[in-house]
Amino acid sequence: MDSKTGYRIDGREDGVRIESRILEEKIQAAIEQGERFVEINAFGQHGIGGRLWKAGDESVHVKITGQAGQRAGSLGFPNTVVEIMGPGSDDVGWLNAGATIVVHGNAGNGLANAMAQGKIYVAGNIGARGMTMTKSNPRFAPPEIWVLGSVGDYFGEFMAGGIAVVCGMNPQTPRNILGYRPLVGMVGGRVYFRGPHKGYSETDAKQVPISDDDWRWFSENLKEYLTRIHREDVLSSLLKREDWQLLTARSPSEKAGVAKRSMASFRAEVWNKELGSGGLIGDLTNLDRSPISLITTGELRRFVPVWENGKYKAPCEGTCPTGIPVHERWRLVREGRIDEAVDLALEYTPFPATICGYLCPNPCMQACTRQILSMMPIDVTKLGKASINAGTPEFPEQSGKKIAVIGGGPAGLSIAWQLRRNGHEAVIYDMEPSIGGKITSVIPESRIPKEVLTAELARISSVIPHIHLKQKLGKHETERLKGDYDFLVVAAGAQKPRILPVPGKERMIPAMDFLARAKNNSIQPGRKVVIIGAGNVGCDVATEAGRLGAESITLIDVQEPASFGKEREEAEAYGAVFKWPCFTKEVTEKGVLLTTGEMLEADTVVISIGDVPDTDFLPESVETDRGFVKVDAFYRTSDSRIFAIGDIVRPGLLTDAIGAGRKAAETINQLLEGREPIAENRMIIDTDRISLEYFDPRITGFDDVDQCGAQCSSCGNCRDCGICISICPKAAISRKDLGNGAYEYIVDDSRCIGCGFCAGACPCGIWFLTENEPMG
Amino acid sequence: MPANRPITPSTLSIKDLLWQILWNKDKCTLCGSCTAVCPVHALELGVFRKRVVETSLDLNPASTNVFKIYHGIRQKTDPQHACVGCGMCTMVCPNDAIIPARSDESDKLIYHQNQGGQPRRRGGRRNVVGGILDQIKFIRISMLTDPALDAGRHEFELRTLLGRILSPEDNLKYLKENGWIPPVREIYPLVIGGMSFGALSPTMWEGLQMGVAYLNEEMKMPVRMCTGEGGCPPRLLRSRFLQYVILQIASGYFGWDEILHALPDMKADPCAVEIKYGQGAKPGDGGLLMWYKVNKLIAAIRGVPAGVSLPSPPTHQTKYSIEEAVAKMTQSMYMAWGFRVPVYPKISASSTSLAVLNNLTRNNYAAGLAIDGEDGGTGAAYNVSMNAMGHPIASNVRDCYLNLVKLGKQNEIPLFAGGGVGKTGNLASNAAALIMLGASGVQTGKYIMQAAAGCLGSESDRCNICNVGLCPKGITSQDPRLYRRLNSEDVAQRIVDVFLSFDTELKKIVAPLGRSTSLPIGMSDALGINDYHAAERLKIQYVV
Repeated sequence: MDSKTGYRIDGREDGVRIESRILEEKIQAAIEQGERFVEINAFGQHGIGGRLWKAGDESVHVKITGQAGQRAGSLGFPNTVVEIMGPGSDDVGWLNAGATIVVHGNAGNGLANAMAQGKIYVAGNIGARGMTMTKSNPRFAPPEIWVLGSVGDYFGEFMAGGIAVVCGMNPQTPRNILGYRPLVGMVGGRVYFRGPHKGYSETDAKQVPISDDDWRWFSENLKEYLTRIHREDVLSSLLKREDWQLLTARSPSEKAGVAKRSMASFRAEVWNKELGSGGLIGDLTNLDRSPISLITTGELRRFVPVWENGKYKAPCEGTCPTGIPVHERWRLVREGRIDEAVDLALEYTPFPATICGYLCPNPCMQACTRQILSMMPIDVTKLGKASINAGTPEFPEQSGKKIAVIGGGPAGLSIAWQLRRNGHEAVIYDMEPSIGGKITSVIPESRIPKEVLTAELARISSVIPHIHLKQKLGKHETERLKGDYDFLVVAAGAQKPRILPVPGKERMIPAMDFLARAKNNSIQPGRKVVIIGAGNVGCDVATEAGRLGAESITLIDVQEPASFGKEREEAEAYGAVFKWPCFTKEVTEKGVLLTTGEMLEADTVVISIGDVPDTDFLPESVETDRGFVKVDAFYRTSDSRIFAIGDIVRPGLLTDAIGAGRKAAETINQLLEGREPIAENRMIIDTDRISLEYFDPRITGFDDVDQCGAQCSSCGNCRDCGICISICPKAAISRKDLGNGAYEYIVDDSRCIGCGFCAGACPCGIWFLTENEPMG
Repeated sequence: MPANRPITPSTLSIKDLLWQILWNKDKCTLCGSCTAVCPVHALELGVFRKRVVETSLDLNPASTNVFKIYHGIRQKTDPQHACVGCGMCTMVCPNDAIIPARSDESDKLIYHQNQGGQPRRRGGRRNVVGGILDQIKFIRISMLTDPALDAGRHEFELRTLLGRILSPEDNLKYLKENGWIPPVREIYPLVIGGMSFGALSPTMWEGLQMGVAYLNEEMKMPVRMCTGEGGCPPRLLRSRFLQYVILQIASGYFGWDEILHALPDMKADPCAVEIKYGQGAKPGDGGLLMWYKVNKLIAAIRGVPAGVSLPSPPTHQTKYSIEEAVAKMTQSMYMAWGFRVPVYPKISASSTSLAVLNNLTRNNYAAGLAIDGEDGGTGAAYNVSMNAMGHPIASNVRDCYLNLVKLGKQNEIPLFAGGGVGKTGNLASNAAALIMLGASGVQTGKYIMQAAAGCLGSESDRCNICNVGLCPKGITSQDPRLYRRLNSEDVAQRIVDVFLSFDTELKKIVAPLGRSTSLPIGMSDALGINDYHAAERLKIQYVV
């Protein structure tokens, strides 16, 4: 074509450069006129040689002499060959859609940018950003560029198709013929190159072997290229297969897997290597720090269940001043061992029938957990009343130790009973003609059947042979007793009535006197009775007065009366009237004159505001406080060999006196055995741990002891129901038979996850979920 | 606790609680997972009684009444066991039968968390949604006016300087006159803020450090992490990784004797020393690592006996003025490494920040100023300190920067801003906003906890039990039973992911500004906000 002279267009007219638009119009007009070989003496005009579609299928040759401007051959068509006889400016072949472009010199930046088809043959080097954003349309052959020398920086950015060949011959940058950061964002196409390079985007591109097919294609097309640029002379030196390398784009899946070093490898080979085995703190701890799952077993559980059977007292046991394990009796009932349930009480009290069955206000029932949900408390009086038939237990051999007990009332009899159970001999001294104290002398028979009391007193007497009655002791005798015995226990009660210091006080009859005389019917109270002090003793007085014929019974108090329970009910049944606040000014023959001026007429005035002990008979070594004997937690007085229990220490219920006797006996026993006394320190169970939902809330009363046993939630003491075994989601709980009826529930730590379901489901509150032992 | 019981003023029902457990009896398989995993034991197995009356309109056979029992999951209502909404029950439930839901009204629990006269303390964040940083837009998009850059294609130097940056002339003069110029570090502009070994679990802390080391050595990103106050494990002190670490010294001075003992064996200098004077989350309040978090390991690193509480007082005790505090502490810390390591103070954002800054400008050693805003998080603080104390970071850092501009020192003393960066997940845009307001870099903690370790906290008062060591993800616990839930390697990998994606996002913001070779520090003409007063206050453009 060079030999022919085609249609010439000059880029200048009259020595003046024509506009790119004008030149373009001229070229298009020439093509339209049928010219197919156009030679342009360019003066930097833009975009020469593109868009020559008007030639249809006929090929068009555009030869550019002079200075080709930017974007020569851009928007080129497949019918076009553009030949730039000198160097190319920027963007040669931009958006080329098929033209073949030959540059006989170097080319500037942006060569082949966005080229989709066609070929660009460059006889020299090219500038930056060559072959960027190139396409490959499946409908056409891919674009190609051939560069004899080197390419500039950022070559092949976002290259999406096409073939680039960089021959590295006489390169502008001999040490790096691919330029700086080539192929960033490359997603398609191939790059053949020859010569040294400084790397390419390995996240986007990869080197592949040149296959035989590749090489065949390459060899043929290399010839064509070299022919076009008139450099056939270098063919043989370029046709050395071993000099060539081929890069292709990584596929999306290959890009995703682009190997950064794995953290595991970094940890093993960099981190631990620098720091030492175990990493950052391997020198400070050998604790395992390997990952664990959210739900763990064994020592990795945050919480562990503990079978706390018997660790805490049931509320009934804990509130019983005598300390009877009531729930234990119900367990025996449930197990069909009713006799043992009955007998058990005698280990704690000599008066199981008298007190538990009749006289006690039953703090155990008041405290019954069932009360929390307003359910009927388990009725202990049923067992109490049955205790009249309890068999007298076997007592051990006598130890030879002797303890004197002053007072044969409930406290004295309790301690004597307990001391005897421990093998010691107790000798009782009492002023009265019979034992039993207030139970015998003042409590009305309406409240305790005589035969019950008699039977229990007889049982006591059969066990405690040495009871000295009608013994009024003075200081001297007490001192002597202390010397004669190992210990001396003072259980003399509160005998002195408290009297109001008002005029006419001599007209008041002390309640204890009244009750004692009423009991053997040796007093006639008359029609009208006023009782000063409306407590339970006052109620007993009212009841007895009623029984003896009084028609008008008035109980007065300075505050709201503290009386309650059966005593009050019985008094009210006799029509007793309670008045308060009333302050007594004087007692006259007419009755009680109040400070308000009101006169409460009375035939009999009874004073019932409590009793205080008579402590005159005690040795000086025994300290008192406001009339009562001072004791420590073990009922020891300030004289370490003298104990004091019952009302002489502080006024209380019968069961308080019984309990004090039991606890003091325990202390004495411990001391006699040479041990330091230890206080019982079991706590009452937190009733939140009990699940009452298992029990019938509609029970309005108990038919028999069996029903009582069945409905007892056995707080803090295992009912052996096995619900925990069933509820455990991991089947970690099992029951272990320990022989002789004993058992325990155990947890398989290797299965347990510490969910606490056992604790949640247990009716009795035995299971407790506690924090595991601290780690680390 | 029975439903019918005597109540106290603090007896609450489920309705009164902030978080309510929704439990589905039909789906529940009673597997025990939820009760086993609940960090605060808000759940227990309940025994429920169900009553069925089989009716008959005749007496024979008569109607019957039957009680049946079923077992299920019950939520406790006492304040100590109130659900914290962490949702671990949901995570562990095989049947999706349980989920905590936030109350549909304000909670009553808040009035009862002061039992025994002890006000509520917690970890976490301020529990205030939103913030000014999220409102700031980047309005200067170059396109054709500057060389438009492509974040994905162009190379960026997202680097910042930490240290006293003198002009070349001053540097030469200094060198000539003093034989010394202040050390300056080129670091990545996103710094992991001070979270101590102790506040964080060993797995978390190691994971953070490992991730940072990876970023430096495998990705060539000079990311730095501040130790927080609590010392530094001896092995790290003696490793080359120390160069990636900013050692913090605070008012408790915990662990510093161990750091000194390691000096002769150090292979590398630390990146810098941060002197902590205040923390954005609880300005004016000290730290307290509770005794139950001080196990043998923590004790060894901090140089204290195990099992004792470790208080950091609100103030450094022997400093009585800004001048003294800055001069004395800065000098001392410089001396420790032969004046080779930059030393800078960190303060809570405050209306007094400018006073500190002005003092620093007169001190030739101060290597920068870190300011921590009110939206910062903490492992433990009084509720009132977290909620009510503090200053937002945006206007504070802006004031400081503009003050430096007035003094002509805006390129000399770098400001590092923290406190709520990435609070709502917008880490890069928050960081970019602070940088353009004048920060040379930002510090972040909470975002890291959430993104790199799966912290469950949110601005809805969710979880927030970092202070009691019960972190259900094992991030802030010293109990191996909890912290082994967290794998250091996974944390490290997430740190890498976080920084790489942050890097791309930050580039996506700065590229359209036409910046690729230096951070647009103080380039506030790029910022706009749809709030007139905020725009006025921050001296940025008001755009609607």
